[in-house]
Amino acid sequence: MRVAAVIPAYKEKGRIGDVVRAMLQRADRVFVVDDGSGDGTGAEARVAGAEVLTHALNRGQGAALRTGVDAALEDGADVIVHVDADGQHDPDAVPALLAPIRAGDADIVLGSRFMGVNAEGMPASRRALLWAARQFSSGVLGITRTLTDPTNGMRAMTAAAARDIDFRQDRMAHCTEILRLISHSRWLARTREVPVKVRYTADTLAKGQKAGDAFKVVWQMVIGSFND
Amino acid sequence: MTQLQLFFIAAFALAIAATLRRRRQGNISRKETIGWTALWMIAIVVVTRPEIASRAAAALGVGRGADAVVYVSVAALFYLVFRVFVRIDKLERDLTSVVRREALDHHRDGKRSS
Repeated sequence: MRVAAVIPAYKEKGRIGDVVRAMLQRADRVFVVDDGSGDGTGAEARVAGAEVLTHALNRGQGAALRTGVDAALEDGADVIVHVDADGQHDPDAVPALLAPIRAGDADIVLGSRFMGVNAEGMPASRRALLWAARQFSSGVLGITRTLTDPTNGMRAMTAAAARDIDFRQDRMAHCTEILRLISHSRWLARTREVPVKVRYTADTLAKGQKAGDAFKVVWQMVIGSFND
Repeated sequence: MTQLQLFFIAAFALAIAATLRRRRQGNISRKETIGWTALWMIAIVVVTRPEIASRAAAALGVGRGADAVVYVSVAALFYLVFRVFVRIDKLERDLTSVVRREALDHHRDGKRSS
């Protein structure tokens, strides 16, 4: 089974190299999409051993992820793992993500921060925000409540599922959109969640989502629905 | 007819002319042309015969005709702004498609030459 990791990256110089090296130990290929960083992120990833695709302009995490998925599918990947570039995701969680797919029990495996593995350094405000996101996702968007972590970017999909989950949100709403597409498709029955550990640091929290971003996600979903 | 009424009628007539010109140039669809022309014509009718706005206001439960015009205008502006947002989102997606195609093509070319 050919496993490809896809890492969308924006201004991650100094961090991306370690992430790529860690992922190369757990995947056959690593695709980094340098999303118009202009700071050497792509060069660092290439030196670390990744296949690098470069967006000439910054188009957002969702757009970069989609580019990487397209490249991985073109390359013949059987399974695609989505990983963040900032080092928050624990590379040791990859085998757990792949296990249900290898066993033939699932086509999509989602990482969850709310299945008994405590996130390191997660502030209470972030926990409250994620709880609110989950309520909105299930109450308004119809994302099944069985999925416990609607904003976690660590997931794995078979090539067939990756082709079918046609997410189009360019920016941060893509996480929610992916879960909405799964919830309303035949893939829901072939979806599992596994606990993953996430490490929050001052750096990643500064760059990560803010409370106000929740409103942006809602706005992007509403406006985007008119172009779907 | 007051000077203000004449001014508005002239302005709306120019707007109709501009709409028809954009249609001839192929910049807007037939549906858009009909919509915009109808809007400007209604505006001319309301300016020419303000009592129509007053009757409409009474029917809607709004005090004065002028108030009804303001309310309807605000609602129309909200709708237009929303349409602009949707159009921008579409343009953003088109831009992403171009950027993605260029990134994938460049990556393929790099693999072929290496």
